[in-house]
Amino acid sequence: MNEERELAISPIVQTSVQHNTQVVSNIRNLTASLFGVAAGTLGLESYPGFIFYLVGTLIVSLLVFAVRAEGKPSEYFHRPLGDLWGGEVFSGLSSFVLTWTLFYGLVRA
Amino acid sequence: MAQPVVQTIHRDPALFWWILLPITVVMILTGILRHYAMTLLQSAPKKQSLPQIRQQRSLVRGFNLRQNANVLTPTSFQARKAYMVSSYQEGKFLADPESRGKPRPNPMSDPAAMEGMMGMMKGNMAMMIPQTLIMGWINAFFSGFVIMKLPFPLTPQFKSMLQSGVGTRDLDVRWVSSLSWYFLTLFGLQPVYNFILGSNNAANQMAQQMGQVNPGAGLMGPEQDPDKLFLSEAENLEVLQHQWILEGVEDRLLAKLAV
Repeated sequence: MNEERELAISPIVQTSVQHNTQVVSNIRNLTASLFGVAAGTLGLESYPGFIFYLVGTLIVSLLVFAVRAEGKPSEYFHRPLGDLWGGEVFSGLSSFVLTWTLFYGLVRA
Repeated sequence: MAQPVVQTIHRDPALFWWILLPITVVMILTGILRHYAMTLLQSAPKKQSLPQIRQQRSLVRGFNLRQNANVLTPTSFQARKAYMVSSYQEGKFLADPESRGKPRPNPMSDPAAMEGMMGMMKGNMAMMIPQTLIMGWINAFFSGFVIMKLPFPLTPQFKSMLQSGVGTRDLDVRWVSSLSWYFLTLFGLQPVYNFILGSNNAANQMAQQMGQVNPGAGLMGPEQDPDKLFLSEAENLEVLQHQWILEGVEDRLLAKLAV
């Protein structure tokens, strides 16, 4: 009941939440494609490539945390852990694999 | 020390220009085409008669009252609740009050319901037809070429799918034919569509699936009895626990200002 009351006093506006999710998702998709380009050009194969992607997304998360959310993620995200750190990691994976394969095929093989 | 022999295949650079690039361009253009086809196929909502609009809107009104009850003072909320509940229970807002309590007609005979199903069919068709066409096109024109090497290993189960048309038994699974590039673009082009067409485009599959579950359609579907909906909404209003948001606002303000 208490939490419901808090929500009613300072409500969460759905449009703003959607906008924030959209911004994060755009950043993630763009960076995932660029990581794919980098991994393909470096010629990474199998596990190093995926680790490269995970490390890259972690860095992007840090940057979003520091630059876009100004260090206060709870002001911009309803659930900071899920939406900022874990959100959209796997949706970017498909575009990462696409550009990775393309540039690996162009440069190396 | 014996390193496994790495298979290498020297490929014609023209394969890139004549297979990889065409498939990618066609996939992107298909997504854009699908977006515009969906926009064009979207039929405009049919004009409804005045009593029907009133029936629909009054139900939405009850829903909104329930959602935003907390901003109302207790007296005004009680007054609204009493009015809404009594008119719901009397069936004041019903489009045709005579048919109250009678069983609904078969939804298949209702033209409005048929229209909704047709819309869903159109969405599915716009999704299915380009995919089948492009798969056929790739199989007809580009089968039998090994065009690229995947940067990650796969299990041999994928061999029959990814190397379709390449009749080499011992070739590493990582060498794949054009069909697998098609699959990669199919799943990986979502962000490209997002950048080209804006975020809520009809090109990607996720939006496709979300679009079928139209939130407005469930509220007042043709197969639901509006009388039953009104009665359940009245019940929901009755049991709603009302809490005025401005209750104790002075204390909260003072507590916030106190250092």
